[in-house]
Amino acid sequence: MTNTATGIVRALNSGIKHIATKRFTLRYPEEKLKFVGDGYQFDPSTGVGIAGLKGRHMLFHDHCTGCQLCSIACEGVAEAIAMVKVPEEQKQNKKSIMPQIDYGKCVFCGLCVDACPFYALYMTNDYELSSFSKEGLIYTPAQLAVKPYVEQDSEIVITKNGATHG
Amino acid sequence: MTAELPPGLAIQKVDERIMTLNVGPQHPGSGHMRIIVQIDGDYIVACDPDPGYVHRGEEKMAEYRNYITNIPHLERPVIHDSCNVLYPYVLGVEELLGIEVPERAKYVRVICSELNRCIYTMYWLAIYGIFLGHSTMFMWPAGDRELLIDLMEKISGARVTHAHFVPGGVRNDLPPNFEEVCLRQVNYFEKRIKEYAAVFYDNPILISRTRDTGVLSREDAIRLGTTGSVLRASGVDYDLRQKEPYDVYEELDVHSNVMKEGDSYARSKVPWLDMMESCNIIRQALQKMPKSGSVRVKLKPNPKGKGLDSVYKRVESGRGSLGCHIVSDGKVEPYRLKLSVGSFRNLIALPYLLKGEKLGNMPSVYWSLNYWPVEADR
Ligand code: SF4
Ligand code: SF4
Repeated sequence: MTNTATGIVRALNSGIKHIATKRFTLRYPEEKLKFVGDGYQFDPSTGVGIAGLKGRHMLFHDHCTGCQLCSIACEGVAEAIAMVKVPEEQKQNKKSIMPQIDYGKCVFCGLCVDACPFYALYMTNDYELSSFSKEGLIYTPAQLAVKPYVEQDSEIVITKNGATHG
Repeated sequence: MTAELPPGLAIQKVDERIMTLNVGPQHPGSGHMRIIVQIDGDYIVACDPDPGYVHRGEEKMAEYRNYITNIPHLERPVIHDSCNVLYPYVLGVEELLGIEVPERAKYVRVICSELNRCIYTMYWLAIYGIFLGHSTMFMWPAGDRELLIDLMEKISGARVTHAHFVPGGVRNDLPPNFEEVCLRQVNYFEKRIKEYAAVFYDNPILISRTRDTGVLSREDAIRLGTTGSVLRASGVDYDLRQKEPYDVYEELDVHSNVMKEGDSYARSKVPWLDMMESCNIIRQALQKMPKSGSVRVKLKPNPKGKGLDSVYKRVESGRGSLGCHIVSDGKVEPYRLKLSVGSFRNLIALPYLLKGEKLGNMPSVYWSLNYWPVEADR
């Protein structure tokens, strides 16, 4: 009986001590988590990626040759990439086709980035892609070319008084 | 009623005293499955687990995708433990294709899989806590997981479903300064989970609810083919990281946690002890890891197996042994892929454990089996 009583007192005590400790509550959207680097990138010459968040893609129109390798890579995953005609005529992209990504289907695996041999497709730190309609989730090559503005600065800070998002 | 039933159908004789109760599939206490229990008053006389509500056909899907595009969907069965689910597949494909993995990549894989084991176990512990009515044990693990999820996010760029392991290594190298951050957060994490003892594991209320409920003897645990923490809680020292070391586990000092009781309490405590062991392994791996070097060998596009070949690899996941059998016929897709998962093997023990228990003990026995419905269905 005394064992039970002391056990319960210990448990309560431990709980009460934690009233003062900091907790993991990120006040999103006022605070946003900070990520390493500028998003997931891939270096085809070494065949190794560069660590970063796998968020919305970024397409560099001056590198994309319209080779469709990203679209082929995505075929087995989510079929999120469609090659569409773009109006501009660029000398490296004679067919003038570029990927258009449907974020209603994309699972953010980044295999398309690994497949691109021309440094044309990267991922960025932007993960806020909500939209009121399904069409709003389809990003055209022109939209993908825009570098998103992200302000993310909260990191996990470990203090004597517990860990928190500072 | 006259015997005018179509062939194959029969009317079941029911005892007036016995009531059949469907727990689930919508009931939150059952996970994504149904448990058909027959109760006599407050006591369970029979139990029939009925999984299959989240069957996705992972194995069939794998036959239509090549060895690389199989990666994102094969980690879906357990999104919290996605590195460990992918591990046997990746090891198998490497053997099929004859790829030698760089040393640094092996250490990165070990770190990722240990982090994932802790992330999964914390999620499981949170669920276990809330179904015993202990809401503190729901809040604390759910919050403290964040430390490790943050590390996984720094490594792989995704909070769950990392898609980080590939045949030939890992997708990308660790970010700069990672060792320091990892050590700091893992040390703090270990300090935190030790605090769970006072509030949960030494709590007399938990002990009185879980001691001597659902006792699985050592012989039964072996006979029923259970695995992982369930097997180790019944006194069988069997941890694949120790017994069949894969990648660099043989160079690390792995200690497996064994308890003899075999009751719900032991089954809930072994994963918690395993988490502390994981923290040890991560620290060792960070120390022994080569400081630089490649982490991924370049594969040619659409890698193929060499003719008719098959390979079976297994690893120790958060729920026990997880095996992957790949049969290749020399094409870019596997001919057949079979996942053998720990959850399903542990579920087999449920009818034996629940017989004679009170209905109120069902959640504690059921969740102590370290069971993940989605993984069992695949
Ligand atoms: S990230 Fe994955 S799912 Fe999304 S477009 Fe690329 S390959 Fe397809
Ligand atoms: S983004 Fe890369 S892979 Fe895709 S079409 Fe352009 S160059 Fe080819």
